[in-house]
Amino acid sequence: MESSMNQACTEAQSTAAAESPLLPAELSALYDAYSRAIYYLALRFLGDSQKAEDATHDVFLKALRHLDQFRAEASARTWLYRIAINHCKNVRSAWHDRHVLPSSDNEFIERIPGGDSPLRILETKELGDRIQRALDGLPAEYRLLLLLVSDQELSYQEAGALTGQSADAVRGKLFRARKAFAGLFAKTE
Amino acid sequence: MKQQNKFSTGRHQEQAAGEQTAAANSGALEFQSPEELLRHDAAQTAVPPEIARRLSQSIAESPPPRRPWWRKLLE
Repeated sequence: MESSMNQACTEAQSTAAAESPLLPAELSALYDAYSRAIYYLALRFLGDSQKAEDATHDVFLKALRHLDQFRAEASARTWLYRIAINHCKNVRSAWHDRHVLPSSDNEFIERIPGGDSPLRILETKELGDRIQRALDGLPAEYRLLLLLVSDQELSYQEAGALTGQSADAVRGKLFRARKAFAGLFAKTE
Repeated sequence: MKQQNKFSTGRHQEQAAGEQTAAANSGALEFQSPEELLRHDAAQTAVPPEIARRLSQSIAESPPPRRPWWRKLLE
């Protein structure tokens, strides 16, 4: 087990420059390799930079404390994503349960006018805000799936495993999520 | 690999290339899918250095992990 983590750390070290010399060696390699992916997932899933900072900090702290639970068959990337998804869902649900009325995802997404033409951006100045507004309009499951599959290192199968569904189910939902995102994104202009 | 390219025929590829060139000439960006847009956004998003500093501080302040009781028996 330890050797698998050492291997993951070695792989991580080989793909990332040492950016966090303050951290212990076993965490530093993971942090350098995956902090961007984890921070971005947290940022766009939670929609708040301060919450994303807190979440990224908590995810890597949890990872360090549970290094012994890392299983050889999982990749470090999917292991960290799993911790991050659970953490972000907890953070989100605590706020959403108090402020947002639940709605059926399928009904909701059917009401969004879809778009299937390329996404054209004329002004990059507020692109992050526009992306966030479009993502915020999606049901949480669709938002999470889009964020996961935008990481080219993750297969549909891995995205499915992380969200508790088959790769085929991921494909089907992504089709609807893409159309809904494009429709919502067009409205942010 | 995962990316589904809408423009699968040669004619459409030419059309897409033409659109991208036009978009580039006008200073606009064009993405074929939301994933592509999100990847661009992720690449532009920097991780705040404050997180690594906070992590380092949290690790220094937290007590060492407790050993399981059974491990003492094995030693």
